[in-house]
Amino acid sequence: MSETNLYPGLNLGDGHGEAHDQAETTVFGFWVFLMSDLIIFGILFASYASYLDPIGMAGGPGPQDLFDFKSVAIQTAFLLVGGAAYGDVSLAVKYDQGRGKVAAWLLLCAALGAGFLFFEVKDFITQAGKGGTPQVSGWLSSYWTLVGLHGVHVLSGILWIFAMIAQIATRGLDGVVKVRLSMLGVFWHFLDLIWVGIFSLVFLVPLA
Amino acid sequence: MSQQTSPIFGNLDWSVTPYTDLLRDVNSSTIVGAGAASVLVLGALFGIVLLTWMRWWGPLYRNWLTSADAKKIGIMYIALALVMLARGIIEGFVMRAHQATALGTLAQQESGLVAPDHFAQLFSTHGTIMIFFVAMPLLIGLINFVLPQQLGARDMAFPVLNQVSLGLTAVGAALVMISLLIGKFGTGGWTMYPPYTGLDFSPGEGVDYWLWAILISGMGSTLTGMNFAVTIFKSRAPGMHFMRMPLFCWTSLCVAIMLIYAMPALTVSSAMLALDRYADFHFFTNDAGGNMMNYANIFWMFGHPEVYILILPAFGVFSEISSTYSGKRLYGYTSLVIASMSIAVISFTVWLHHFFTMGQSAGVNIAFGIATMIIGIPTGVKIYDWMATMWRGRIRVTAPIVYLTGFFLLFVIGGLSGIILANPSIDYQVHNSTFLVAHFHNVIIPGVLYGMLAGIHYWFPKAFGFRLSERWGRRTAFLFVGGFVFTFMPLYVLGLMGMPRRSPTFQNPDFMPWMYIAAFGGVLMLCALASLAWTFWTSYRNRDALAVPGGDPWNGSTLEWSTPAPVPEWTFPRIPHVTARDDWGECKRAGDPWRAPDEYRDIEMPANTAHGLLIAGASFGLGFAMVWHIWWLAVLSFLAIPAIVALRAMRVIEPRIVKAAEVELADRRFRQQVASFAPATRADEETERNRGVPDLSEFAG
Amino acid sequence: MTKPNTGELDPQDSAGSEIKSYTIGFTASLFLTVGAFAAAMSDLPLRWKIACICAAAILQIVVHMRNFLHLSFSGGQSREDLLLVLFSATLLVIMAGGTWYIMSDLSGRMHDTDAAMHEVQPR
Repeated sequence: MSETNLYPGLNLGDGHGEAHDQAETTVFGFWVFLMSDLIIFGILFASYASYLDPIGMAGGPGPQDLFDFKSVAIQTAFLLVGGAAYGDVSLAVKYDQGRGKVAAWLLLCAALGAGFLFFEVKDFITQAGKGGTPQVSGWLSSYWTLVGLHGVHVLSGILWIFAMIAQIATRGLDGVVKVRLSMLGVFWHFLDLIWVGIFSLVFLVPLA
Repeated sequence: MSQQTSPIFGNLDWSVTPYTDLLRDVNSSTIVGAGAASVLVLGALFGIVLLTWMRWWGPLYRNWLTSADAKKIGIMYIALALVMLARGIIEGFVMRAHQATALGTLAQQESGLVAPDHFAQLFSTHGTIMIFFVAMPLLIGLINFVLPQQLGARDMAFPVLNQVSLGLTAVGAALVMISLLIGKFGTGGWTMYPPYTGLDFSPGEGVDYWLWAILISGMGSTLTGMNFAVTIFKSRAPGMHFMRMPLFCWTSLCVAIMLIYAMPALTVSSAMLALDRYADFHFFTNDAGGNMMNYANIFWMFGHPEVYILILPAFGVFSEISSTYSGKRLYGYTSLVIASMSIAVISFTVWLHHFFTMGQSAGVNIAFGIATMIIGIPTGVKIYDWMATMWRGRIRVTAPIVYLTGFFLLFVIGGLSGIILANPSIDYQVHNSTFLVAHFHNVIIPGVLYGMLAGIHYWFPKAFGFRLSERWGRRTAFLFVGGFVFTFMPLYVLGLMGMPRRSPTFQNPDFMPWMYIAAFGGVLMLCALASLAWTFWTSYRNRDALAVPGGDPWNGSTLEWSTPAPVPEWTFPRIPHVTARDDWGECKRAGDPWRAPDEYRDIEMPANTAHGLLIAGASFGLGFAMVWHIWWLAVLSFLAIPAIVALRAMRVIEPRIVKAAEVELADRRFRQQVASFAPATRADEETERNRGVPDLSEFAG
Repeated sequence: MTKPNTGELDPQDSAGSEIKSYTIGFTASLFLTVGAFAAAMSDLPLRWKIACICAAAILQIVVHMRNFLHLSFSGGQSREDLLLVLFSATLLVIMAGGTWYIMSDLSGRMHDTDAAMHEVQPR
C-alpha cells in the first residue's frame, strides 16, 4: 500500500476524490462507535467467564453437553471466507470494477453470512432441545446473550448488505454509497474479530 | 393493573392513573400523586394552547424540531433539562417535606406526607431524572452549543445523528414523565439493583419504565459521545492544534471518551435486567445460577465514569469563566489538560468503591480505595489552578463568579467527604446512610449544577443576543448556595447519627431538628428554582437594554466571542485560521480583531430534516409498548426504526447552500455595528453601555 | 499523502499488493484457526491448551486488524485509529479484567469453588 491510510478498512484512495475525504470522518466515526460495541461484547465475555462455574450452571447442562466442535468449525469457516469475500467488495469499489461486480461480491458475503447463521440457529435449536435454554441457568443466559448478540449483528450485517445493494441499484456507486460500503466493510471485519473471541473463549476454552 | 394482557392494549387499562388511587382512598399521598399528574396534564395542555394561540407550531417545527444545527440542538437539550430540573427539585422538596413529617412512633410507625411506596417512587425518579435527564442534557446541550464554536467548526461532524441523539434523550425523559400519569415508576432507586427489581419482587411496569428510558436515552448518549469525539478529532479549524484548544474542548473530549466507553456498561446491565424481566433469563436472579452482584459490578463500571462525565464539563466551564472574569490568562493550561485526561482514565478504575460492603476481600477493597484516593489528586490540581487564575486578577463578581466561589467552598468539602468514604473501613460505618446522600449531592450540586448554570449565564448572550440580568443571576446563585448548605449539611449529621438513606419513616426524635433545617433548605431550593425562572423572564422583558449585538460582552479570549450575538447559523463567515491558543485574545492583542474576511463564499449547511423526530417517535412507541406489553406496537416500532434509516439512505440528500452574498450582507452589517458602538469598560459590564464590544485596552487575558 | 487528490484513478494502480495482503491475512487466519481447534482437541495439559487457544486468538485478531482492517502499525495517518484501538484494548482489559477479578473474589468467598470445580472437572 503506497498511500497512508486515513481510516480503518481498505481506503478508497486518492482516486476517489471527495468520497475518500468524507470517508475519513464517517468511517472513523463508525469505528469509534464499534469501539463502544466492543466494550459491550467485552463485558458480556467477562460475564460469561464469571458464570462459567458449577454455581452459574446451576445443575443445568454445561459446555460438554451442548457444544459441537464440528458445527463451530463450520461457522468459523463461513465467517472467515465471508471476511475475505468482503475484501473483494472493497477492491471492486476501489478499482471501479462496476456495479455488477460489487453487487455480486456483496451477495456472496450475504450468502456466507446466511450460511453462518443457519448453522448457528441450528445449534441453538439443538441445544434448546437438549434442555439448554437460556431460562435454565445464569451460564446459559450469558451464553445465549453473547453468542446471540453476535448473531444479531451478523443478521443486521446481511440486512445492511441488501440495503446497500438497493442503494447501488437506485443511486449507483456515488460517493456516499462508496463511503457506506467502506463502513459496512469495517463492520463485517469487526464481526470476524468478535467471532475469533467467541470461538476461542466461549467454545474452545470450556471444551479444552 | 389487569391480570391478563390484552392483545391490543397490553397491560393498560383505566385503573393505572393516580386518579384511580385518589378515588379509592383520599389521603395526602394520593393527593400529591394526582396533583403531580394534573400538573403534567395541565402543563402539556397549556403548552399546546400557547403554541396554537401564538401560531408557533410552524416556526417550532421549521426552526427547531427539524433543525440539524448543533447550536439549536444544544439549546433544546438545555430547555429539556430545565423542565426536568423543575420536576427534580420539586420532588426533592416533597421528599424533604415528607421526612420532616415522617417521625413515627412505636405504636404508629408509618407517618408523613406520602406513603412509603410513593416515597420510594419519588427518590427513584428524582435520582433518575437528575442524573440522566437534567445533568446529562445540560452538559450535552452546553457542549453542543459551545464546542463547534470554540473549535472553529461549522457544525458537529454528524449533524443529523446529533438530532437523533436529542430525540432519543427526549424519549427517555418523556417515558419518565408519562409515568406520572400512566402507571407507576420503579421503586428501586436510580440504580435499580436486582434482585429487588427482578420480576419476583417488582412485577408491574415501574422498573420497565426505568429500563426503557435508560436504554433509549443511553443509545442517544453513546451516539453523542461518538459525535463529540469525531468532531474534536476531525473538524477543528486549521491551526487549532490539540494544545491550542480551549479547556472546555478538552473536557468535552474527556466526556466524549467516557461516554463512548462507559455507556455500553449501562446498556449491558440494563439489557440483562430487561432479559431477566421479559424473557425469564437468570443473570441477576436469586436462583438458577444468577448473580445479582454482577449487576452492581457492571452498573458501576458505567456509574463511576458517569460521575466524571457530569463533572468534567463543569470543570471546563469553570476554567473558561475563572479566566474571563478575572481578566487573566488561564493558569496552568497544560496541567489542567493533563489533570482532565488523568481523571478521564482513572475514573474507569475505581468503580468498586460504590459497593465496598458487598463482601469481597479486603485486598480488592483497598486496591479500589487507593485508586479512588488517587483520583482526588488531579481534581485538587484543578482547584489550585483556578484559584491561581483568579489570584490578583481584576475579578468582576458576576453570577458565574458567585457560582464559582460557591463551588470552591462547597465542592472541596464534598471532595473531602469523598476521600473519607474512599477508605473501606470508614465506608463500612457510614455506607447507605444519609452521609452518603450528603456527599454525592455535595459534589454534584456545587459541581454540575453550579457549573452548568454558570455556563448558561456565560454563554446565554451568544445564543439569544441579550445578557441575563446579573442582579437576578446573583440572587439565584446565592439561593442555590444557601439552599444547598441548609438542605444537605444536616444530612451529614443525620448520617453520622445513623439514619439510613431512603427511609420513608423513622422513630428517633433526635433527627427532627436536622430534618426541619433540611426542609427549610428545600424551601430555599424551591425559591432558587423560581428565581432562576424569574431571571430568564425578567431578562427576556429587558432584552433591549441587555442586548449585546457586538457579541463579546465579557471581553473573552476564545473563538466563539468573535461572532455576533445571537450567533448566525453559519457561526463563522469564513472558517478562521488559528494561530495561537486563545486565538481571539491574540487578535485583540494584535490590534483590530474585527477585520472582515477577504472574501465570502457559499456555505454548505445541513438541510433540515424530520429524521430525528421520526426516529424519536418510533423509539417512544417501542419504549412505551414494551413497558405495557403491547407487543404489536413494539414490533411495529422496532421495525420502523431500520426502515426509516434505510428509506433515508436511499435518497440523495443535498445540503442547504447559504449564498455568499447573504453571508456578506449579514457580516458587513455586523462589522459596521461593532464599529459604531462605544467600547464598554469593565466597570460598565453590567450596564446598558455593554453592547458586546469591550474596551480592548483592558484586555489582559 | 504522497499523491494529489485528483479524483481520477491512476492507471498505474493495481490491486496486486492489496490482493496479496488479503491472501496473507486469509491464510494466516486459517492457519491460526486450525491451530486453535487442533490445540483444543489435542492431549496437551489443560493449561497449555488454554494458552495456545488464547495466543492464537490474539495473533488472529492482530492479523485481522492488519490485513483486513488495514490499521497500519507503523506511523502514518492511521495512527489515530491505532491509538484508539490500543486505548479501547486498555479499557477492555480494565473492565473485563476487573469484572473477572471482582466476581471471582466474591464467588471464592461465598462458595468453595475449588472443590466444586474438581467435581465437574471433566476427563
